[in-house]
Amino acid sequence: MIIKKTNTILLLFLTFCGMIFGQQKEINTPQISLLSSQNEFVAGDAIVLKFNTKTDAIFSLYCSNSYGSTIVNSEKINEGISFKLPDYFTQKRGAIHWKVFENKTVILEGNIHIKPKENSASLEMYLGPPSIEAGGIDYTMLVTIPTDSLDNPLPKNSKVAVKTQFLKDEKETEIQTNNLIAYYNIYAPLKSGRMLLSTQHQNKNSKEFDVNIVPAIPKNFTIFYNRNHDYADGNQITTFYTSVLKDKNNNVVSDGTFVYFFITTRENAVLKTFGQTINGVAKAKMIHPDKAENWAVKAFIDGISESNSIKINYQQAIKDFDVVFKNNNTNIKVGPFKSFMNQMIPDGLKVTLTVSQKNKVIKVYHNETNKGFANFILNKNFYKKGKYSFTIKAAGLVQNFENISLW
Amino acid sequence: MVKINKILIRTILICSYILLSAILVFLISGVLSYLNTGADRSKLLHTQVKKENIYTPEFIWKKDGNEGRAISQQVLNEVENNYLDAWYLKQLAYRENSKTGIDDFYTKNARKNLYAIIDHNLKNKTYVIATSLSHHPDILFYSEDGQLIILEDKDVVEYKKVFQNQKLVLETTEQSDYKHILLLEDGFWRIRHTVRKNIKTYNKEIQKTQTDSLLIKGINYYPQKTPWDMFGDDFDENIIAKDFDIIKKAGLNSVRIFVPYEDFGKAVLKEDKLEKLKTLLDIADEKKLKVVVTLFDFYGNYDVLDWTLTYKHARGIVSKFKDHNAVLAWDLKNEPNLDFESRGKKNVFAWLENLLILIKTIDTNHPVTVGWSDIESATILSDKLDYVSFHYYEDLEDFETEYQKLKTKITNKPLILQEFGLSSYGGFWRPFASSEESQALYHKTIQKVLNKHKIHFMSWTLYDFEEVPTSVVGKLPWRTNPQKKFGFIDSNGKKKAAFEFICE
Repeated sequence: MIIKKTNTILLLFLTFCGMIFGQQKEINTPQISLLSSQNEFVAGDAIVLKFNTKTDAIFSLYCSNSYGSTIVNSEKINEGISFKLPDYFTQKRGAIHWKVFENKTVILEGNIHIKPKENSASLEMYLGPPSIEAGGIDYTMLVTIPTDSLDNPLPKNSKVAVKTQFLKDEKETEIQTNNLIAYYNIYAPLKSGRMLLSTQHQNKNSKEFDVNIVPAIPKNFTIFYNRNHDYADGNQITTFYTSVLKDKNNNVVSDGTFVYFFITTRENAVLKTFGQTINGVAKAKMIHPDKAENWAVKAFIDGISESNSIKINYQQAIKDFDVVFKNNNTNIKVGPFKSFMNQMIPDGLKVTLTVSQKNKVIKVYHNETNKGFANFILNKNFYKKGKYSFTIKAAGLVQNFENISLW
Repeated sequence: MVKINKILIRTILICSYILLSAILVFLISGVLSYLNTGADRSKLLHTQVKKENIYTPEFIWKKDGNEGRAISQQVLNEVENNYLDAWYLKQLAYRENSKTGIDDFYTKNARKNLYAIIDHNLKNKTYVIATSLSHHPDILFYSEDGQLIILEDKDVVEYKKVFQNQKLVLETTEQSDYKHILLLEDGFWRIRHTVRKNIKTYNKEIQKTQTDSLLIKGINYYPQKTPWDMFGDDFDENIIAKDFDIIKKAGLNSVRIFVPYEDFGKAVLKEDKLEKLKTLLDIADEKKLKVVVTLFDFYGNYDVLDWTLTYKHARGIVSKFKDHNAVLAWDLKNEPNLDFESRGKKNVFAWLENLLILIKTIDTNHPVTVGWSDIESATILSDKLDYVSFHYYEDLEDFETEYQKLKTKITNKPLILQEFGLSSYGGFWRPFASSEESQALYHKTIQKVLNKHKIHFMSWTLYDFEEVPTSVVGKLPWRTNPQKKFGFIDSNGKKKAAFEFICE
């Protein structure tokens, strides 16, 4: 009775051991037994499973690893038979499951555990995103897969050093592998610039990687303007420019940041011009108005920041102009247009002539000045003989002529 | 006069000019539009993806979050597709020992491992036909730039048949855990590393399900107008309700129906078909009839790489109706032993066994059976099934002894005589072979035996049919015509003499 009990305990213990080590189990009557008890190997070690058997039956070995399965044929040895696992089976980390079988019946089965080699041979490194925003909030992730010379990921808790260099700062941090990889989040410093990274495991170093630390979004800014004179001559150009655009950590924003300038005129019309930053300053230009104006200008970086609003006044440059009617009043010569120093204005001032009869507009003519004058020639075939009124507009000035007879 | 002529000539000239121009414009535009046909701009780049379901093992994500970046459903779907494709291509590669397609789903370094095994197997004249039956994937890590994933796949069940020199040498089912590193390359999630652990031989133990205490007195049922096509376009719930009334009134308590595999949409079940099946079960429930649902009707492939599709089909149906009150039992397949010769007994057997395990894991309430075509086959799988069903179309006189013989072989399982009957056909193609009287006599006799031994039975069938599809018994008239006359009610709706003995 006692013997039986010890037997049971022994049996239980053996089963327990079997469970713990993933050892071979016996199925059916054992005609064959495993000689070698080693079930942990280092990748690359030759694995030969030796079995003690007296029967002449032809056994084969089935084995499967992480990638596939195959059959190995037996070789005769003194004690019985042996199976030499193919090289590529012994080289990959993970469990190998084997079954010795004969005539479709599995006689013995077991597991072998293959550990990766101790030394790393390569450090595959993945880094992304490649550029991050300065300011300590944004980060990039470095993922490294340290592998041994047979391309097996190293075991859990392998130590990897992450080295970073930024400006005068050189740092080294230690991380550990888990789930085949080790990763580390690198938070952006306050300054913009370029950070260099590398990893090291034991004596193996990865190659150099870099991360661009780009400036964050700019803060609100101020704008200025610059012009030759303050006359509304419709010809000169006013240049608007911004202060140096900086993010909250005083990094100058990246070149090419778009800045839109919105100009609100006296009549509440909105004009738009834009420029891109170079060294933090964006410049945009706008031609002078041709009549007296009070402009309000404000700049925006779409959805990000805005400037103060500035006011610009333009004074009237053209004080008055003459109108001469010739050729039965069908040829109308407007001008000369003289600017602030009594010089002829440059070509291209817009002049509008409206012909109407009994408060009904018949035709509107647009023309531009040439050498200080604008000419309008009315087609005799179009107008019936009669009295017409003429309105001429230019540079914000209006002149009316009533009861002008054509023909 | 001259003036009018002039105007006339001018008009004619102008009109003919306009007409000529119109014809020219019409012709040129015709040529242009002809040249423009055929090319649909949206299809120029072949951007549309035609995806067919080819590999559908059980795939249950464990969505418990992951380290790194939060993963979106879309990425998860892409990973699932690519990962399953990787498995499928691996199975194909080891089956054919060819390297086609491996490079799409394994990175350059990972491929080498598969190629080495393929080369070795080629040299050894070994090949492996395998499939995976279930996956329990879990994303452990997703990198911030969305290019790297650590995927753990637990309790992967793989069925493998290993061949050497064209002979099957080993059949094995393994269960193991995998850990993969996947990299996003060229828009594909490719496997970079794989580490397998915790391998064990899959435990095929099957839980027994308590069978119903009911003494089954049933009938195999097809509507009279739509035999072998019950869930087609002519599905009519009124007809079914009326027929179920007839069956119930005749004293029967159950029916056996058939779910055709392809008609129901194979792996991707058609919603309308499921709805029809539900209607039928609801009617049965209402009329207090129990239903034996026979799956995989008209299926006959059993190829290992086809398993995942069939199992998805079974998962869909069984999980939908596992709580339905009308279901009496699941019949895995009608007469699978008839495919033993053409498809290999081992194939069919392994398919059935794994299907049985699958259904048992989903539905623990309903018993499972297989409708073997003869009494000799009834012992197959009998230790694992809850009901042992067999069909009997042999000599009536031998039935009682045959039954008792079987009873001694299978002592612990209820037996169902799941199909039996006699055709009343005695026409041109088989003159004097049978008649309505001999059919009635047949049923009268067998009912006595059934009653004597309290045998569960389901007779074939309620109606005489006007048409029998060629896929059932072929085209030969001396086969199809008798097949039409097995009913208790003739094609005009008149009860035949045998109806009296439909149930003792």
